[in-house]
Amino acid sequence: MAEKIIMPKQGLQMTEGTIIEWKKQVGDTVKEGETLFEIETDKLNIDIDAPASGTLLAVLRKEGETVPITEIIGYIGEAGEDVSSLTGAPKNPPTEAPTESPAESPTESPTESMIEAPTEAPTEAPAGASGRKFVTPRARKTAEEKQLDLQKITGTGPEGLVIERDVLAAAVSAGSSAPGQPSATPTARKLAERTGQDLASITGTGPRGKIYSADIAAAARQKTTGSYPESAEYGAEEIPMRGMRKVIAERMRSSLDEAAQAVHRMDIDMSEAVRLRAAFKAEGRAVSFNDIIVRAAAAALKRHPRINRQIGSNGNILQFRDVNIGIAVALDEGLIVPVISHADQRSLEDIHAESKRLAAAARSNTLQPEDLAGGRFTISNLGMYGLDSFTAIINRPESCILAVGSITDRPVVIEKQLAVRPVCTLSLTYDHRLIDGAPAAEFLQTLRGILQNPLLMI
Amino acid sequence: MSTKKYAVAIRDVLQQEMQRDERVFVMGEDIAEQGGIFGCTRGLMEEFGKERVRNTPISEAGFIGAGVGASLTGMRPVIELMYMDFTYVAMDQILNQAAKIRYMYGGKATLPLVIRGQQGIGRGNAGTHSQSVEAFFTHIPGLKVAMPATPADAAGLLRTAIRDNNPIMFFEHKALYAVSGEVPDDPDFSIPFGKAAIMREGADVTVIATSLMVSRALEAAEKLSGEGIDVEVIDPRTILPMDMDTFVGSVKKTGRALVVHEAHRTMGIGAEIAAELTEKAFVYLDAPVARLGAKACTLPFSLVLENAVVPGVDDIVEGVRKICYR
Amino acid sequence: MDNKRLEWIYKTMLTIRNFEDKALSLFESNQLRGSVHLCTGQEAVAATVCSHLRDEDYITSTHRGHGHCIAKGAEPDLAMAELMGKSTGYCLGRGGSMHIADVTKGNLGANAIVAAGLPIASGAALSAKLRGTDQIAVAFFGDGAANEGAFHEALNLAAVWKLPIIFVCENNQFGISTHVDVSTSVKDIAVRAKAYDIPGEVVDGNDVFDIDKAVKKAVARAKAGKGPSLIECKTYRWYGHWTGDPQVYRSKEDVEIWKQKCPIKRLEEYLREHKILTEKEMEKMHSDASSQIDAAAEFALSSPDPDPATVLENVYFEN
Repeated sequence: MAEKIIMPKQGLQMTEGTIIEWKKQVGDTVKEGETLFEIETDKLNIDIDAPASGTLLAVLRKEGETVPITEIIGYIGEAGEDVSSLTGAPKNPPTEAPTESPAESPTESPTESMIEAPTEAPTEAPAGASGRKFVTPRARKTAEEKQLDLQKITGTGPEGLVIERDVLAAAVSAGSSAPGQPSATPTARKLAERTGQDLASITGTGPRGKIYSADIAAAARQKTTGSYPESAEYGAEEIPMRGMRKVIAERMRSSLDEAAQAVHRMDIDMSEAVRLRAAFKAEGRAVSFNDIIVRAAAAALKRHPRINRQIGSNGNILQFRDVNIGIAVALDEGLIVPVISHADQRSLEDIHAESKRLAAAARSNTLQPEDLAGGRFTISNLGMYGLDSFTAIINRPESCILAVGSITDRPVVIEKQLAVRPVCTLSLTYDHRLIDGAPAAEFLQTLRGILQNPLLMI
Repeated sequence: MSTKKYAVAIRDVLQQEMQRDERVFVMGEDIAEQGGIFGCTRGLMEEFGKERVRNTPISEAGFIGAGVGASLTGMRPVIELMYMDFTYVAMDQILNQAAKIRYMYGGKATLPLVIRGQQGIGRGNAGTHSQSVEAFFTHIPGLKVAMPATPADAAGLLRTAIRDNNPIMFFEHKALYAVSGEVPDDPDFSIPFGKAAIMREGADVTVIATSLMVSRALEAAEKLSGEGIDVEVIDPRTILPMDMDTFVGSVKKTGRALVVHEAHRTMGIGAEIAAELTEKAFVYLDAPVARLGAKACTLPFSLVLENAVVPGVDDIVEGVRKICYR
Repeated sequence: MDNKRLEWIYKTMLTIRNFEDKALSLFESNQLRGSVHLCTGQEAVAATVCSHLRDEDYITSTHRGHGHCIAKGAEPDLAMAELMGKSTGYCLGRGGSMHIADVTKGNLGANAIVAAGLPIASGAALSAKLRGTDQIAVAFFGDGAANEGAFHEALNLAAVWKLPIIFVCENNQFGISTHVDVSTSVKDIAVRAKAYDIPGEVVDGNDVFDIDKAVKKAVARAKAGKGPSLIECKTYRWYGHWTGDPQVYRSKEDVEIWKQKCPIKRLEEYLREHKILTEKEMEKMHSDASSQIDAAAEFALSSPDPDPATVLENVYFEN
């Protein structure tokens, strides 16, 4: 019996992935463990291995398609095996009743688990065959409310059981005026709201008509430009918004939408930091200014737990104990923020080694999901571009980002005397919803104290 | 608010209630100098003396029976059982005496009594010391049964238990003692029995979880949100009385429910909740109410096997997917 | 023993005897249901022990508990109403014969679970100790209870905590049909006190004076804070385990021998001999007891049944 190939979940945040390339063609022989296809997720490109040995029988989703996790994208089986009943392709003249046996039902779990399978309609009367239809109480209630004929609704539950979402889908396709929510991803819902579109008027391209954000975007384009392609109108090349770019776009937008971002700036006399770095260098040990700032920020965060917070998904405040600092790494096609975990417990050299490793992994696209997990506070350093200072956008769901400018000799007044000192401007963007101005300022003050007297890091 | 560990939250309430009411006293095995093997009575003997912080012989039927007698005659005993599994050797005193006396005496006796202690997995204590035995006590009318999942709930529910004039079974969890959380400082802070806590709001599916399973359910909910499944997590906090109204309200919204408890699935409280939901929210159900609980075998010693028996985060994720037909 | 106490014991025994006789006749005439365990023949123990107790002292009793209940001050009409499951009974018809309690009079309840009352009485004694009062507790139990774990746990607990309690064993020789000789490792249950380093004494349970001596000592010991005592009263029940017991395990001759040792008759002989009461006075006390119990039965019979609508009341204390 054919083995399913699904869009696998890679990492905690992943909800969908884009198929970059099928490494095998239909009909090719594949070995279990051999690379079968490549996907692009939020942040990473990942090679996915074949789940079984055999022949690639079917490819249901093409390269470039974005697919929700766990959705079936193909089948592997014995050469010549007929998978048309699984892929939905008609093999014989179509029959009315679904012919698949319960054992092949895609909702059946392959492994034994502690809970038993949900209701299965009696097998002697498959849905439709005897004219009897099995419907959940809730689906029946919803169908009544929406005045839909249950006989005309195809069930997608076990053995054709009609469940509520089938009724809702039928309501959408029937253009039912009754209030009912078509199935859509949360991002799609948000996008529809923002672009002022009615979900009910949009045709989803997902399974059972589920609406993705791409469908909303397409509909929006349709509205403004008719069917005339935008790229043609402007003579521009059209590059699909996907993968990392899509994620960054959505994240930055939603960060500004959700967080109340305010900025504090502070100039720091870096003389002691310069001396510290020189001392390491004299011993042939490499430490960067950025490492010193990471370590100092970690020490300051430890002293200001109120800064080490986020707003959790339930709206409550999460107070973290771990001090994990993300470092923004620029890539050709975007930006990624790997995380130095427990930065407050690491030595400067350890931080140096870890951030070198993470930056290299980021550039070679070999970051592991755990390298990206658990960030609480991001540091973005653009000093090397000669920027004195800049404002960064918070990397949600975090609540702070520290923008580090270049270290330049600047005039400063010390005890009423003009002096020249290496100065660096730090800009802290913070989420005013949970961090007020004074504590943010206190945090910066502590950070300045540490950088001006690095012994305090210890 | 203070941040404290679950065990400390319990200790502090015992201390405050003993200061407040002279009739309150604690007894149990190794609770005086030792402060209880989990530290829940640490320091109490120094403050209140050995009469009110009373070490008992290893004689559960004896000292629980003595608790019943002391309670009937004006005291408010709080009895620590080192392991709630040990209730089995004192079942007559709990189920035949404590639970029934008020009713059998025509309401003319009052029995303020708390039997508290820990249970559950987490320390490799195997079959006789790792069970979750709460369901037994929900079957016999006359007891109330609490099972706090957080330090604040431990404090608030224990205070309610001590001030209640009924016999209370108070189930702590050994794996939660070291968990920290915010606890209100108010010396009267209490949580009423029979009021569930909605730990996380969600629209797609209701997960009702108790004790240690609450944190696992929340973790599963977080994972499932990545799949677009929006999980509501409810902790009943007390399973007798049980806040069925809150479950029904949630299921009216979500149409599906999964009950998760560490106790055995067979004949467990999950079955009771499922049956009640079927009776009270039938037309709102879009899937059968599902249950997760320990498999039908004795709790094994090996950590690997223990984990295989008790529901884990992945089991909950899988269980939710199933009733969402995904 | 002073005459006042003797008279009280005598009167109490008569009340118990009449109560049990009435219960039997009501059962036989099908006006009373359930398990009714009669203590006829054992009256001396309950009456003599309770003659040393005040209202504030505590007892726990057994399934054969009517005697303890009456001796501890129960109103016979409320007790009889409870036996008949009436709304006017001590427990509003919820407890029946085996669970009569009157906490206000220190009766913490008859208990249908063998030996369950011993730990509870120990707890009452602990309560008295914690509250610093001079109250004492008495746990009545039968020979069968001496083989329950709860007996041993309670004796040890009371001994190690030096609780003001007296464990009173009514050894009537049978656990239903099983004779103590085949159920119990020791000839005298009182010797088990040794195991807990407390005094244990065997007394003639049909002899008011023998019982009285032992109880006096035990009460003094309890009030002095020296801890518990065990008193074993050898006695005999005239009737079967319950009304209707075919009693295949004993002969009529045996029962007859014990009837000759009737504790009431023995006390009457003493009262007569020592001219404490006249024949006439004793006759009057008999007829008073009889009419009191007749009235109790009348009260019980004419009382209403409990209202089924109230069946869920008192499961919990409503805080």
